[in-house]
Formats: sequence, structure tokens, C-alpha cells
Amino acid sequence: MDNGLILHTILGLLLLLIPAGALYWLERKKIPRLCFVFGRMVVQLLALCLVVWGLFKVDKPWLSVAWLVVLAVGMSWLVLKRCGEKRMTLMPAVAVGLFAGVFVVGMWLLVLVLPGRALDVRWFVPVMALLTGHTTAMLIRGVSTYLTALKADEQQYEFLRGNGILHLKALQPFMRRALLAVIQPTIANMKVLALMSMPLLLVGLLLGGLSPLRAFILMLSMVCGCVAASVLSLGITILLADKSLFDKFGKQQ
Amino acid sequence: MLEFKDATIKVGEWELQMRLSFIARDGEVTCVTGPEGSGKTTLIRTLMGFLPVKEGFVSVDGELLTIYSSHAFRQIMVYLPQQIQLLAHQLRMPEPEEPEAEEYGVWNDLMPAANVESTPEPLNAEEILMLAEQTLQEAADKPIVIADEPTAFLSPELTMRMMDLLCRQAKAGKTVLVTTRKPQVADYADQVIRL
Repeated sequence: MDNGLILHTILGLLLLLIPAGALYWLERKKIPRLCFVFGRMVVQLLALCLVVWGLFKVDKPWLSVAWLVVLAVGMSWLVLKRCGEKRMTLMPAVAVGLFAGVFVVGMWLLVLVLPGRALDVRWFVPVMALLTGHTTAMLIRGVSTYLTALKADEQQYEFLRGNGILHLKALQPFMRRALLAVIQPTIANMKVLALMSMPLLLVGLLLGGLSPLRAFILMLSMVCGCVAASVLSLGITILLADKSLFDKFGKQQ
Repeated sequence: MLEFKDATIKVGEWELQMRLSFIARDGEVTCVTGPEGSGKTTLIRTLMGFLPVKEGFVSVDGELLTIYSSHAFRQIMVYLPQQIQLLAHQLRMPEPEEPEAEEYGVWNDLMPAANVESTPEPLNAEEILMLAEQTLQEAADKPIVIADEPTAFLSPELTMRMMDLLCRQAKAGKTVLVTTRKPQVADYADQVIRL
């Protein structure tokens, strides 16, 4: 790290004096909390950047893919934890669904849409990380909706099965609800994107030196990728979770 | 025609019915009665293939019911479940409200809270009857009707209408199997099985 970087970091941190000063004047109790949270954030951010630095340093496709696998497993645990789901038997389904959805859509973007080599770590890591982040958030909504709807509306499933509807067909009303839980927030956000909110991704692309037009195209591709990955992951997760959710008689476990 | 022959039904370690035998014939209303917990719903669930027969057998039109054949049999059955009042989403599809944009920072990496779907508002007695009529109408070509306490949430007047509806099915040549705790429902039956 050169001296210039250290100086710039210190100058950046100095900006914190403004909110800290305001708190000192109006709400001193909050200062320790601010310090604690800021310190934690620095550690988290540093850990993340060290991992990315390692990936960039090695720059091997197998390591990038292995990183995505580890990320998918970690995020699947987070999805189930957020859903309040104690059945860890569902974790493989969520992890595989998350990995497959993100990897397929990510490779589509990297190979066919975005410039650069597909497995170049400089493109692979940010694209996959962005897709994984969005897909994880949407899986929390989709999976929780699906599981709680199955519990709350167990009678509807049994009614449909009892009337001769095939298992997967009887699950369609529940899949529809899970899909809406994923799609509705996306629609709501698309409505206001760049109108009421400036997406962080676009800011990042502009900061990275891209022209506004190129940033627009990349942003558009990534938005489409995020929506596609979340729907694909949800579908795969629901299909793979089936064996853990139902016994051979079609009864929920 | 439905036949239970020396059928023993077991739920976990609990043996619910031992060596039960009866035949529900085409064109007749067969009524299964018994106090709460006597196993009426379990018997229906076994017939639907949702529970296994431990000993003996259950057959539908002379064909043996197993977990593998049960789906084929369910395709020729109309099923009105005990908790029919909870089937609100069969009449009205749930339409979730569109959330506010700022509630979910989709491209800002905020993790949303989990969704919790609640049990639908129960149907009222008129709606229960409407759903039963609709279900029977949609499955007019199915030869077997299974109704698990179809009158449990109905007034005496609507109970009569429901039973008329089921008796019409029997008159059309269908096998109708009904469970109930109400003696007035048993009066409509051609055959009563007491558990």
C-alpha cells in the first residue's frame, strides 16, 4: 500500500467527523453505537476485499467456480435462516437451485452479452456476486412464500390431489404465489428505477470509468440477468425440494 | 363400487380400524358414521391412497388400491374434504398486493424479510355449497363421489340441499360415500356403516 492510498483513506474517513459532530451535539448516546457498527463494517468489507483480492491474484477459473459454490452454500443457509426454516434437509435444494440459476444466467451474460473473457475473474466475480445477492434476496421471499402457503393452504393441495390432479399440477397455485412474491418487488423497483432511485450498480459502473451509454447497456443486461436468475433458481429449488417436503403418499413432511 | 375387505388401517403406531369390511355400491349413498376420533377421515384418506392399508385390502371396481395405483383411482373420484370451508382459494385466487418499491432494495443488496402466508378466510355456508356444486359439476363424468363430513359447517336447510345434491349423484349411478356425525344425514343413506 503506498502512502498516497493511506492518505486518501484517512481523508475519506475524516468525513465521518460531520455525522459524529452532529451526534455529539444532539444525541451523544449514539456515538458508541456508530463507532461499533462502523468498525464492524470495516472488518466485513476488508474480509470481503481480501477474498476478492485472493481470487484476482490467483485468477484461475476453477477457483472462481469453487468460490461461487461456497457462496451458494453460505447463501442457502442464510435463505433458510431468514425463512425461519429448521429443516436443513432443504439446504441442498436451495444451494443447488441458487448455484444453478446464477451460474447458467451468469455464463449467458459473460459469454454472450458482456465484453471480455467469460471466466476472466474481473468479470466473473462481480457478475456472479451481483446475481447471487439479488437471487438470494428473492429466494428468501419466494421460498418463504412457497413453504408458508403450503402449510397455510394444505387443504387446497389435498383437495386437488384428492380430485385426481397430478402432484406437480396440484402445486401450481403455490408456485404461482412464490413466483408473484419474487416478481412483484421486481416490478415495483423497475417502475422507479432511475426515476426515484439511482441504482448503486450504475453508480459503480460510472465510477469504474464506463461511459454512460455503456453503463446503461450493462445495467440493463444485469437487471434482466437478476430477474432471470431469481426465477430460474426459485423453479429449480422448488423442484429439488419436493422430495424433502412430501412423503411417498404425497403428505407434507 | 368400493370395497373394504378385512382392512386394517394404521397411523404410526396407532391401529385405527381393525378388519373393516363393507361394500359401497354404484347408485347408492353409503354413509359412514361414528363419534369424533373414530377414524372416519382416516378411512377416507386411506381410500384416497394418502394412507396405507396395513392388512386386508381396499379395491375400486375390483382393482386393488395401492400407493402406486391410487392416483389412477383418484382420477375417477370427486373428493369433498372435511375442511372444505378452508378452500377459499379454490373460489378466489389470492392476489398479493404490489409492494412499495423502496420496501425492497432489489439492486441495493438489502435482504428482505421472509413472507408469511396466512390461512385464508373460511368460506361461509353458502360458499361451501357453491364450491361443492361447482366441484361436482366439473367432474360430472367421474363415477365415485367421496365426501368427508360435507355438512359439518352447514345449517339444517343447507344440509338438506347438500344431501339432495349427493343423492342426485347416486341416482345418476355413481358410488357415493359420505362420512358424518349427524343422524339426519344418515337418514339419506341406502347403507350405514357404524365405526
